[in-house]
Amino acid sequence: MGAHILIVEDSALVVSALRILLEDAGHRVSDAGSVRAALDIARSDRPEVMLLDLALPDGDGLSVLETLSNDGLAPRVTVAVTGRDEPHIIARCKRLGCREVLVKPIRAMALPTQVAEWLAE
Amino acid sequence: MTRIGAGYHTVEERLRTLEERVEEQTRTIDELRNRDALKTQFLSNVSHDLRTPLTAIVTHAEILRDGILGDLSPKQLESICGIISGGRQLIGMVGEILMYARGAADQLSLTPTEFAIGTVIEQVTSQVEPLAVKKGLEIGVDVEKDMPPLCADREKITHILSNLLGNAIDFTEHGGRVWVNASRTTTVQSAASVLIEVGDTGIGIAPEHHELVFREFAQVDASASRHHHGTGLGLAIARKFVELHDGRIWVESAPGVGSRFYFTVPVHASC
Ligand SMILES: Nc1ncnc2c1ncn2[C@@H]1O[C@H](COP(=O)(O)OP(=O)(O)OP(=O)(O)O)[C@@H](O)[C@H]1O
Ligand SMILES: [Mg+2]
Repeated sequence: MGAHILIVEDSALVVSALRILLEDAGHRVSDAGSVRAALDIARSDRPEVMLLDLALPDGDGLSVLETLSNDGLAPRVTVAVTGRDEPHIIARCKRLGCREVLVKPIRAMALPTQVAEWLAE
Repeated sequence: MTRIGAGYHTVEERLRTLEERVEEQTRTIDELRNRDALKTQFLSNVSHDLRTPLTAIVTHAEILRDGILGDLSPKQLESICGIISGGRQLIGMVGEILMYARGAADQLSLTPTEFAIGTVIEQVTSQVEPLAVKKGLEIGVDVEKDMPPLCADREKITHILSNLLGNAIDFTEHGGRVWVNASRTTTVQSAASVLIEVGDTGIGIAPEHHELVFREFAQVDASASRHHHGTGLGLAIARKFVELHDGRIWVESAPGVGSRFYFTVPVHASC
């Protein structure tokens, strides 16, 4: 039932809240605060779901997905989380294979249900 | 000869002085523009950075409220709900500032779709209804029959309506009335448009403030003791959104009688 979920997000405050919610729903949660850390974790312990913040301290969040896809290691579901809902950003996420684009402030309480839906597909 | 020559010299000199002055003024204006853009950028950055911890606060509070970490006593629950609504209010204000900053930097674009204006009015009205009821206000909706479908940015039209309706409720005392009407109209260039009126029987706005209220950060009562707390950006954003659609927005109002805000949206402006 439970899946491995990787939260790529540099705010420890946000991560801690999401972790409680997703662990409560029975998932195993890893987190990474940078592009580098995200690649390290995703390569050694491939997640089923990756929540990907687009603005990371060491670069563009989407480069994580791009690199993993090139290596054939993309998670089953990647969902982008962004502070900007400009059409070209959303289009770029979709092009790179994001299942969905969540615009901040995201409705975190709905996440467990959404994760279940993504995994059921 | 000497006099004419000297005169010529003087005119030339004055011309040069004037040119120099114009150049200097142009530099000053450019400099001010740059600083204004920097401030807008700063506003945007700060707002972005505020939003992350705010979201974390609200989510942590929601986790507690929903009993995920154990049951709460009714008093604890009430307190947590206070944190959540305060946090949501702040998130809303930060969102307004971000929206304004994007408008000021001309980073706003329209995402048009076709929809019925009546549906959007119903949606916004039912969203604010609890607020109105709580204040003892009567709320009415009147949409002309057979309105043509509107092709516009639905989210932005929704935003304009909730801002105007929110203001109508905020600035109307207990027992008053607020309403939303929609009808057909044509613009000066005779393009088919919808005309939307959001009215109230509230405190009203003095004629000398009718222009001012659409300016960013403008509040008629800006004193520290004012009852109403907001960013003063609601109407500035509404105006920006209306203008993006090539529409017009204005107010008719008298103190003590009430206000009627009107805006038009050309039916096909965006498609
Ligand atoms: N319906 C109204 N009746 C009376 N005064 C109004 C009404 N709508 C707006 N105003 C005046 O115009 C000012 C600007 O309104 P605006 O919506 O831009 O900002 P705000 O309501 O103060 O803040 P915010 O919308 O960000 O919460 C208000 O502070 C108020 O003084
Ligand atoms: Mg307002």
